[in-house]
Amino acid sequence: MVSAIFIIAAGLGAGFLIGLLREDQKGAAFTVALAALGFMAWVSVSWFVALASGTAAPQDIITAGTQPPFAINLRMGLAEAGLLSVITLTGLLSLVYMAPALRALGRRALAVLVILVMALSGLVLTRDIFNLFVFFELVVIATGGLVLLSDDKRAVAAGFKYLVVSQIVGILLLIGIIFVYHANGSLNIDDIAAQPMGFTGAGLALFLLLIALVVELKPFPANGWALDIYEAAHPGVSALVSAASATAALYAADKLFAAAGPDWLPLATVLGLVSFLGANLLGLAQRNDRRLLGYSSIGQIGLVLVVVGQRDILGDAYLYVAGGILFTHAVAKAGLYWISGLVPGRDLADWAVLRTNPVLLFAFAGFIAMLLGLPPFAGFYAKWDLAHALAGADRLPVLGLVLLGALIEAGYLFRWFGFALKRPNPVAFPGFSTTGFAVVLAALAGGWGLGFVWGAGSVHGNLLLAAPLLFALAFLVLEPLPAWAKNLLAIAGLLGWVGFRAPGYDPLHLVFALVMLAGGAVILLASFAVKGERFGFYPSAMVMYAGLALLIDAQTSFQFFAAWELLTIGSYFLILRGKESEPHALSYILFSLGGAFAILAGFALASGGLQPFALDNLAAIAEAGLPLAPWVFLLLAIGFLTKTASVGFHIWLPGAHAEAETDVSPMVSGILLKAGLFGLWLLLMHMGRQSLFGVDLTYLLVWIGALSAFIGAVLAIFQEDAKRLLAYSSISQMGYALFGLALMNHLGWLLALMFVINHYVYKSMLFLAIGGVKERTHTKLMYKMGGLITIMPFTFVSVLVGIIAMSGVPPLSGFGGRWVFYNAIMSSEMRLPVVLIFMSGPIAFLYLFRLIHTIFLGQLKDEHRKLKEASGWLLAPQMIFVAFLIGFAILPGMVLQRVDAYIGGHFGSTALAWSGRSITSEFGYWNPVAIMIVIGVIFVIVLALLVAMNRNAQKVKQFNIVFSAERPFKPQTTHFAWNFFAPYRKALGFLEAPHVTRFWGGITDSLHASADFTRRIYTGNGQTYAAQVIVFVVAVYLVVLGGVS
Amino acid sequence: MSFEWVQIAYAALTVFIVINYGLIMTAVVQKIGARVGGRYGIPVWQNYIDLVKNIALRSKISHGVMFYLGPVFRLTGGIGLLLFVPTIYGSVMHQNFAFAGDLILALYFVFFGTLGMALGAGESGHPHAAIGVSRGLAQVTAAELPLALAVFAISLQYQTLSITEIVAAQQGGLFNWTLFTNPIATLAAMFALVGTMMRAPFDVVVAPQEIPIGPPTEYHSAYLALMQTNRVLFPVAKTVIYMNLFFGGASNWGEFAVKVFAIYMVSVLVGVVHPRFRVEQSIRFFLKWGLPVGILAILVV
Repeated sequence: MVSAIFIIAAGLGAGFLIGLLREDQKGAAFTVALAALGFMAWVSVSWFVALASGTAAPQDIITAGTQPPFAINLRMGLAEAGLLSVITLTGLLSLVYMAPALRALGRRALAVLVILVMALSGLVLTRDIFNLFVFFELVVIATGGLVLLSDDKRAVAAGFKYLVVSQIVGILLLIGIIFVYHANGSLNIDDIAAQPMGFTGAGLALFLLLIALVVELKPFPANGWALDIYEAAHPGVSALVSAASATAALYAADKLFAAAGPDWLPLATVLGLVSFLGANLLGLAQRNDRRLLGYSSIGQIGLVLVVVGQRDILGDAYLYVAGGILFTHAVAKAGLYWISGLVPGRDLADWAVLRTNPVLLFAFAGFIAMLLGLPPFAGFYAKWDLAHALAGADRLPVLGLVLLGALIEAGYLFRWFGFALKRPNPVAFPGFSTTGFAVVLAALAGGWGLGFVWGAGSVHGNLLLAAPLLFALAFLVLEPLPAWAKNLLAIAGLLGWVGFRAPGYDPLHLVFALVMLAGGAVILLASFAVKGERFGFYPSAMVMYAGLALLIDAQTSFQFFAAWELLTIGSYFLILRGKESEPHALSYILFSLGGAFAILAGFALASGGLQPFALDNLAAIAEAGLPLAPWVFLLLAIGFLTKTASVGFHIWLPGAHAEAETDVSPMVSGILLKAGLFGLWLLLMHMGRQSLFGVDLTYLLVWIGALSAFIGAVLAIFQEDAKRLLAYSSISQMGYALFGLALMNHLGWLLALMFVINHYVYKSMLFLAIGGVKERTHTKLMYKMGGLITIMPFTFVSVLVGIIAMSGVPPLSGFGGRWVFYNAIMSSEMRLPVVLIFMSGPIAFLYLFRLIHTIFLGQLKDEHRKLKEASGWLLAPQMIFVAFLIGFAILPGMVLQRVDAYIGGHFGSTALAWSGRSITSEFGYWNPVAIMIVIGVIFVIVLALLVAMNRNAQKVKQFNIVFSAERPFKPQTTHFAWNFFAPYRKALGFLEAPHVTRFWGGITDSLHASADFTRRIYTGNGQTYAAQVIVFVVAVYLVVLGGVS
Repeated sequence: MSFEWVQIAYAALTVFIVINYGLIMTAVVQKIGARVGGRYGIPVWQNYIDLVKNIALRSKISHGVMFYLGPVFRLTGGIGLLLFVPTIYGSVMHQNFAFAGDLILALYFVFFGTLGMALGAGESGHPHAAIGVSRGLAQVTAAELPLALAVFAISLQYQTLSITEIVAAQQGGLFNWTLFTNPIATLAAMFALVGTMMRAPFDVVVAPQEIPIGPPTEYHSAYLALMQTNRVLFPVAKTVIYMNLFFGGASNWGEFAVKVFAIYMVSVLVGVVHPRFRVEQSIRFFLKWGLPVGILAILVV
């Protein structure tokens, strides 16, 4: 192995060599810099590979032939090697990325860049604090020099402010070093570690040292100077500052926190938390891309500082967790800054130009996912372990604040992605620089590579090796294929997976697998209607399905959560595809991530930090009656309720489902919502009833279910938009299912299961039908339609069957659900919530009738006379659903009998009696075949009578009616459709008041307002910034040491 | 219970009896109303005449398939409702097809005809029909609520959903009727009875004055004949449910005739002394008065 000291030597040597070249030898200077950085990167990476694979041992390098502390020593361990790889590779790529600018500036700039990377490497390697100070000074000078590279005039001011503040930091550091030397007699970090200095005596010395290093991390709120750098410098420099400098500085801080002993760790935790939360909060208010990235960097480094503060509890996992977050951040942030350099405008919405290059868009999405710690990236594994360690050590407030900060960060990052995908692209864009593009791709590959490495190191197994996810990711490569080919493959994949896995499932899992995956395949039939490549659709959809497949398979909490996150991400991208869906997709992802974090916290709490945690162990916790059991229950339930869009968490759903594409709406409504029910099911199955402060939580769920059923239905009847109507109806239907589940009795669960199946079928069918209508009429507003029955007869039939089934009118399958419902409530103690359910039943009738009447009946509009029936591919799945609904209505036992026995086994209760074609419960009976035959026969007889009497009825034209003594001629004035249930609005319109929307809006508004208020501290004045740093240091000193001495 | 072919004949007999009973009873009720108002009124056979006239009408038009099927749905709903409920307690002949389902089937099948009828009326394209449907559906959501609660209360009381068993439990004397064993539930149900019989004060749906006859506006000839048949059959079928659930059922046709008439007269009596509610007023009425009684009924059971 090449000794690590050659990294320093190469950097220094190249720096001097470039200095010796003539001013006009620009090519030679660049080549030398490239060679030096390439060499440094090669040494670092080869060490990393050797150490990680165990073929080399960590090395201590003694300089000047003398043992420390009398000479400086360097150390090359696994952590150092990893960090050096990140730093030198970032340096190398930045060099390539900034090549044109650097060449123009000449050899000095190149020398400065090489020196910067060398100094950062030195920060990582050295074990001597004075040497640390020297490298710091080098970093400061080099950074200051590089900042001036930017075309931005503000860069000069920013660089100057940076130098001012850095001098203050340098002074603090130097004084600290002097004091430490005075107290300890050694400047070697390992000597300091050997004699920990607590809060007494030499406390001030260590404090100064640590705070100087922390301020170097640009913590909120003492960081105005740093933000100006991020905003004004060349993006290549910002990438370097964010990815390499921050990483090195953090490691320097970490070395000293490790040496200072556990007493000092809370300082790191608190400063880290303040920084993470504060920076992310301010990130919300940013409109400038680079400044926003700056805030995000500060936040992420704050997060790693929090991890540093947890090194006492993380133990062996420390490097895995800290590295996972730090490396992912470095890669993602460098990547984002590099993309920022390719984007001409500085407003967030200017990133819409990325749409001209799908690969960059994909990279953008990937970097955001990396920053947020979403699977399958390294940060995901790290955050999972961090959460478990925090929960295991009872540091719950820290866990809560970390998750809150992450959620806020998700807010502005996903909002930004929404801008990129949906905002108009104002600039005519010539194209991206090829080098820049290649550098971004390298970062992207690095991020995926890290994900793979971290996955390989995880005890839970590598997500990137999970077959469903691999299958989904394969669609990224297959993107150039035509949509029909990809669709075929997707359907085959879904069906193949179900066929492969189904034999191993119990009846409950089987039903969910059939609904989610086989059901998904049926809906995908409709996707054949779309021509072209359909860029981005299949990877998103298949990631969602992969998440669902993995969710059903999950045995441990990790597998469950990873699957949950995957399906959330996939569905977010799917929803975002809709034309008007930008704000709705954002609200969806925020609620979903908020829910996911609740689930994460719940699992972490349940496991007590011990991993892997089998889902079955939830039952053990419940049985042991631990005081944390109800909290686990509550957190998990909240997570699942956000997915089922139960009232209170429902405001994302109407927009998300209504604005999605025609074939996406049924996927996210008919299928995705069931994931929440699946989770609730597992929860209730394992944990049963839990009480918190004397309140039975299942009782609370019953109320939430009933309220959702009621409010969803009431709101549905007031919608003018057909897809919104269906969306609100989903809230209501999920309320029924939740109600049934939470009843905690046999028939309640059977009821929920019937809703799982029925809702999938009829809601998918209705969304496809209405989507088909929308594609023909180009509107979703029902009052603009009318009379389409003759033009779209098949669509009419599927809507008709759908609404009969959904309303619960015999003989179709919805009635079975109602029958089971009555039997379920008969054996429950809960009476009052039932009133709400009773009310919602007939109300459903209102909105369903409105749906069919205002679209298909009444008066046909002039502009619709020449429309055609919806595409055959849209109709195909609908007809399958129609057939299924009728079949399921006649023979419900086909599906339900086995599940009934299975549930009965769980409750130890007798199942329903399925004798012949008749079903008998403790209270009543139901014979679907007889019902179907009786109704059929009567219908045919009456119809025959009518035909006999009226066979020669004359078919008349549209306006052959008379009212108010006039013969109408305008469909618009004759079609009674708008505000269809006006009397209802008069009586119950007060229920429409958007209290929940106001509540959540109030929260986001106050976050934005406080961000706007807080950012006034950043005046742009260098003196103010310097004062802030000093005030910050003094304040922290007073808080930390004020009470001690 | 199992099916035997002869039941079809028995069921046809039930339908025949009930239709004729309904034709006469509704005419009698109308005549009573006229006499109270000091008019002479229609002859009691007037309904038969109307039926024959409508069937014989020569001009017959259709606005489309759903328009054509609307009355079929409507009458199927009426006959089905009648036949899913045992008419005469203890009679083998008039158990009808009650083996197909219990009380819940009857409750939900009420909507079958309503839905089909509304669809047919919708296709006529006549705005008055749509307005009538909108009013009717809006009103029924609130009006049916007390009944749903009352039914829940008495199913809990008798611990069964089978109508036959509920009737059986009320045998053995006047005071075994639900009316006396559970007066609150009965009162709640009466709210719904009054609210859904399409009589004043809740008859704005068909509002004879301002939107000539609501949903059926465009119907004529045999369509109207089917609907008229249903209009005499359906209230009786519904009243049979009330009779079975709350008033001890009927063990022979005589008892049936008296009880159905008496129960039906409740809505008539309320109607003749009250002016009409607007829809939002009736919704508020049922939520303010009917709903609390219903809730009380399920809480005290």
